[in-house]
Amino acid sequence: MKYLVFSIKIIFLAFFLYTLYFILYTDVQAVDMESPRFRIESANTSSAAGNKSSTNYKLSDTIGQLAAGKFSSTGYVVKAGFQYLRSVIPFRFSISDINVSLGTLTPNTPSTATTVLTVYSGAAGQYQVTAIEEGQLKTLSGKAIPDTSCNGDAETCTESVAKTWNSNTAYGFGYNMSGDDIPADFSTSSHYRPFPNQFTPESPTVVMSSVNVGKNHQATMTFKANISQIQEAGSYQTIINFVATPSY
Amino acid sequence: MINKQMNLKFFILFFYLFIFLFVYSGVVIAQQVSLSISPPLLELVIKPGKSIMVAYRVENSGDPVILTSKILPFEPKDNLGNIRIKKEFEGPVRFSLDNADLQLEQPFFLKTGDSQQLLLRIRLPEGTPEGDYYYTLLTEAAPPKSSEGIGSARARAAIGSNILITVTESGSVEVKPRVALFSTIGGLTLGQDLKIYDSFDKIPLILIVENKGKNMIKPEGEITLKGNFGEEIKHDVIPKNILSLSQRLVEATPSAQFEKPVSLVLSGFFVGLYRLSTKLTFGENSPTVFASTSFLALPFKLIIGLIVVIIITILVIRKFSKNEDED
Repeated sequence: MKYLVFSIKIIFLAFFLYTLYFILYTDVQAVDMESPRFRIESANTSSAAGNKSSTNYKLSDTIGQLAAGKFSSTGYVVKAGFQYLRSVIPFRFSISDINVSLGTLTPNTPSTATTVLTVYSGAAGQYQVTAIEEGQLKTLSGKAIPDTSCNGDAETCTESVAKTWNSNTAYGFGYNMSGDDIPADFSTSSHYRPFPNQFTPESPTVVMSSVNVGKNHQATMTFKANISQIQEAGSYQTIINFVATPSY
Repeated sequence: MINKQMNLKFFILFFYLFIFLFVYSGVVIAQQVSLSISPPLLELVIKPGKSIMVAYRVENSGDPVILTSKILPFEPKDNLGNIRIKKEFEGPVRFSLDNADLQLEQPFFLKTGDSQQLLLRIRLPEGTPEGDYYYTLLTEAAPPKSSEGIGSARARAAIGSNILITVTESGSVEVKPRVALFSTIGGLTLGQDLKIYDSFDKIPLILIVENKGKNMIKPEGEITLKGNFGEEIKHDVIPKNILSLSQRLVEATPSAQFEKPVSLVLSGFFVGLYRLSTKLTFGENSPTVFASTSFLALPFKLIIGLIVVIIITILVIRKFSKNEDED
């Protein structure tokens, strides 16, 4: 009997707290502001932010970020930070795997491997990611796997135009892109391009770019190598330089 | 007996190590790099002979990494805001780090979750010619060590932050804008400028502004659409820097995704002649530039649909009338 009374009291207390929770509960959210063009993750809520001035200088700042705000003094004016860029999200670039293994290469059997590129462009809005290879895939002794031309003839790809590469007798090294903000010529998973080579007069190629603000632009880069019967055995390696930059 | 005890001890030790392996073994994952930089853009107007210090923060959210920071000049690559970073440093601007223990191009180590403040000193020597100088602060991660015996592509990741420097003795800058292109795309062209669209078509508009001056400019203003019944819609231009001696596609808000970059996409039901105009300013006491274009929209698809429906209706009525006559 005593136990029953105690249990009823517990149930009543729990019910009371549960009701109280729903009555007093209010949403707590960051100040999110967005339009189709811009998204502000968190507005400046600091009471210290604002305009300050004296007879010798003018200072307008938004605290919480280094070098934020506009200040003018004798001889210079600096503009930096989210007061001008409408966002506090840092510009971030990630590569999911920076050591992409193509395994043991077997003649006429294409090897592929992937890595994921992610850009959080919020603070900058517009961005680009470029790629260029530090030479062809080659061994320490200098034996190289040439950059791909894809299937050849009408399906000959270049550093700026992707074409179909699905022939097992078409040899070389190249890449495919899929996902967000990729060049339009990567229309299928069989479309490949060779990397531009920094030891030739070639410029880095844009592999991702966007004019839209966003948190999580993600694209998968698939590396592919296919070798012929006469390709010498060895450890073929290269380095791909990725550079992510915001716009101006 | 001793042998039995040894076996038991060995078994317990083996069992303990087996459990230990499962409790403490971590998941082996690919080597990841994840870098962030703040601020991503710096605009500086400065006199020759002056120097300033700007604090940057580089953060590592990936695996532990060795980083190196350097400065390289850049130039606009196209009219979409993309850049081309030059291979070698050039220009009169002098950069250095004020950090006590770090210099530019000196490697530094960052653990996962750590960040490094870079106190960048920008110095303009006396006699630096007036004009604009554009640079990128690049922080790059060292690539991983190579794996023997297999084919592999290693990645060197770098993240950049752009620095736009305007050098001026007097504080005034040269503003020489020109509208290089203000036109709708697609549709049928009638005469020299007039384009014709279907009333239901989305009408993409391109506004390209050219900066003929030696300093960067930032347009502000609007694009106005006026209909033949006096209706008017205004779209604000999004201010973006146009670097010296370059062009840039200027976008207006609200914009929409289109198959290629455009300034604005007009959508709705349009009938008649419409006039698009733009008015851009570039700050106080700067010239104002104007441009305009027109397009004609008619409900071609609707008219064709109606004609088809009328023809089919007439044919059906005739067929029924013929059948009734035969009966």
